[in-house]
Order: sequence, then structure tokens, then C-alpha cells
Amino acid sequence: MGGYGDVKLLREDGLRLDGRKIDEMRPVKIEAGVLPAADGSAMVTHGLNVAVAAVYGPMEAHPRKIQRQDRAVIDVRYNMAPFSTSDRIRPGYNRRSREISKVTAEALESVVLVERYPRSKIRVEIEILAAEAGTRCAGLTAAAVALADAGIPMRDLIVGVASGKVEGIVVLDLDKAEDNYGQADLPVGILPNTGEIAFLQMDGDLSPDEYNLAMEYNFKAAAEIHEIMVDALKRRYEGGEN
Amino acid sequence: MVELVPTLLRQELARLAEDDLRLDGRKQWEGREVTLETDCLYNAEGSAKVVMGGTIVYAGVKFELRTPWPDRPAQGSLMCGAELRPVAHRKYEPGPPSPQSIELGRVVDRGIRESGCIDMESLCIVPGEKVWGVMIDIHVLSDGGNIFDACGLAAIAALRTATVPAERFDVGEDYTLKVKGTPIMASFTRVGGRYIYDPSEEEELGGDERIHITLGDEGHLHSLQKGLRGVFTPAEFAEIFEVAHHRCTELRTLVANQEGN
Repeated sequence: MGGYGDVKLLREDGLRLDGRKIDEMRPVKIEAGVLPAADGSAMVTHGLNVAVAAVYGPMEAHPRKIQRQDRAVIDVRYNMAPFSTSDRIRPGYNRRSREISKVTAEALESVVLVERYPRSKIRVEIEILAAEAGTRCAGLTAAAVALADAGIPMRDLIVGVASGKVEGIVVLDLDKAEDNYGQADLPVGILPNTGEIAFLQMDGDLSPDEYNLAMEYNFKAAAEIHEIMVDALKRRYEGGEN
Repeated sequence: MVELVPTLLRQELARLAEDDLRLDGRKQWEGREVTLETDCLYNAEGSAKVVMGGTIVYAGVKFELRTPWPDRPAQGSLMCGAELRPVAHRKYEPGPPSPQSIELGRVVDRGIRESGCIDMESLCIVPGEKVWGVMIDIHVLSDGGNIFDACGLAAIAALRTATVPAERFDVGEDYTLKVKGTPIMASFTRVGGRYIYDPSEEEELGGDERIHITLGDEGHLHSLQKGLRGVFTPAEFAEIFEVAHHRCTELRTLVANQEGN
């Protein structure tokens, strides 16, 4: 978080620089079954972010040392395409993508019925094609839809959403400028049916009250995105254009 | 891995070839339908998406300021790379760039570079000090066969729509990158003993060697590559070269039509 700076992020009329209200989400579009080679896939467009997820498996877990006798392991790779950001990213793994991959895998392992597939592996590949703040959430949402599209049993979907703080005000769904110059970011993965939380990160500075408000915004947005996720899956399986 | 499926597949492909048939009903020199979309990625200075059957490829162009090579002080540079990440197929493993992805990127790179469609001197800002480096990154999202042609098409289409982000780097006003020409690749694989154009995933799995031909606007050759185990005769090459000429012209028209929109 950049902390207090000279950059104005709220307008005189109380709206944000892109014209959104404090608790307004960027537009979200989801399509399931976008990659023919994958067992399941999804594309999530969240504002200017574009995340694609592919699922392969369940398959035999290699190497053997990663196998678990009682359940499947979920192997997640979150990767940003070199052209996804303003400055080109050198291809390959970095510390940030490794960490996001790890916590995303753990979140997905808490909803997938992994005990049904002992000693196997489910591969989840998340590719970010365009990044404008909020890619881990868009990637998590895409992964959940792709897992459902692959027919893998889950006890709930996961919705990735974030709230944060700019100029001392809690706002829903930070865009790039707000992420760079804001004061806090709280990305979470919410199970829409049970109301549980499977993914949680935060950085910056939030008071307990601000945290509660940010979480309230996150739950509200998660309900909205959940409808879009379900709609994407229905379109896929009602024999629509896919 | 036990090669049982490829063996059965090879037999089936050979049987079909006797009657001049293909697994998906195409004729020997018939390509799959190609859809091309450009300007589809927000942060790339030029971008394209190509769909060919089950194959989906994105290409994005980025620019950077760099100091020129000492032996070419007034020339910028062009680099084209491809990533075959595990997202694209279950056969791709994570790890450092594989020989296949390096070959893919380099074959596409040669076709574009050698066609001369980018004037390297036009990428010079201050001789000896500051030039543009143009980077084309190709991202294969789904490998449904013949990723070479899809990558070649995505790369040139993205390049042709690129805007030089001069304002962001504080070196003048943004302008459209000048690209003269549209080099296009056509790929052939030996399947059931004879060559076919635009192999599908199954045809690659049950096929033999492949040949990639990149042709410029005037029909000149700009890059050739033979890959995988196998040999071919000059007469066979003459035949596919003729086909390549037609298919490249069609795809060049597709690129031009997309730009016209």
C-alpha cells in the first residue's frame, strides 16, 4: 500500500475516479468451458482484469512424494502473462506468484471433496492475460468455475472479492490507481452458500470497524458474483452456444 | 509411456489416407476455420487472439527502451517468444522453457524478422543511446493442434495493431508502429504417409515429421523449419509449397479484413 500520498482518489462529489460509488463493484463477466484442451475451464473479466483458469484431472499424482494417501492434492499455478501489465513481466515464476498459487490451492482444497480422490492430483492453471488490480480474486473465481465445469465435486463455489481503503474511506473492489495509492487491501475467497471464508489476505492499515465494513462489502459483492458464476455454468450445461 | 493409442491412431490415419480422407472430414489441403480478434488485451500495446479448431492462442506486444547493441547503434530490436505453459494441455509440464516452446518462438520470430516487415532503424530514438525493443509474447492457452500457424498469425496480427507507447516513456507522442507486410506461416504434417495442411491434435499425435513455411506478401520464403523424425522429397516439398502459397494468401486477407473493421 502506498499510504497517504498526493494522489486524489475520490472526487468532490464523493464518487471514485472511475465514477463508481464507494460500494460499487467493477463489471464482472464469466464464461465457462472456454478452453477445448482442458477438462474444465473458465474466463473471468473483472473490470479490466482478464483471468483464465484450466483444470486437468483428477490424475495420478507425480512425483509420488506429493501423493496423499487419503485425498487428492490440488496443484495450482497462478501466472501473469508477460503482456498483462503496463511494464512487461519476464516469464517465469516469482515469489509473488508462488505465494498466490499456494494460498489459492489451499483455499480450493477446502471446498473440493478431495477425499474422494486419494493419491491423485488436480491441476489448476490460472493465467492472467490483463492485470489492473484484483487478479488473485479474478483468478480464484475463475478456478472455482473451472473446477465445477470439470465436474469435480465441491461443497461450494468460492468467490474472490476485495475491498480496501482509499483516503480514509472503505471502498469495494480497488482498481489499479486505488491499489497503488490506497491504504489497505483485503482480498478474500468467500463460500457463497455457507458464508465461510477460505481465502484471506490483507495489507495496509484498517481499524476493526473498517475491517468489518470492508468484509460487509465483500459479502455483498460475493453474492452478486455468485449469481454470475452460476449463470455461466448454467449456460454451459443447458446446451447453449458452448 | 506405452504408445498403444498412437499405434492404433496411426493405423486408423493410414487407413483413412488411402481413401484421401481425414479424421475430421477435411480434405488434404483444407484448413480449419480461423477466427482472429485484435486489440483484445488492455495492457498490451498490440494484441491478438486466434482460434483454430481447439487451438486458442493470444499474442501481446510490449515495448521497452534500451541501449542499442554496439555494432548496430542506430537499430532497435525485435524479440518473439512463445510459452507452452501447462494451461494449454495436460501434456505440458511446469518448469523452464521446453525445447518445443523455444523452437516455436524462434520459428515465428524468424518469419517475422526475416520478412523485413519491421524497419529496425525506425525503432531508433537517439543513435548509440536509446532505441525501442519490441517484444512479442505468445501465450498458448489451448493446444488443439497446429499451434505454429496459430502463433504465427497471432504474432503478426498483434504486431500490426501495435501502438508505440512513446508518451509513457517520455519520448514524444504515441504513434502506430509501422509494419510493412504480413508474413504468414503454413504448417504441414505427414499423416498416414502423405502430407496434410493444418494438423489437428489427433493428426499430430499419430503423425510424423512436420514442415513450417513462412511466406511474405510477395510469396517469398522467409523461414523454413522441419521438425520431428522423418524425411521428405523435393517433389513433396514442391507440392506443399504450392499449397502454402494459397493458404498464406487467404490468411493474409483475413488479417487485412480484421484491420479494415
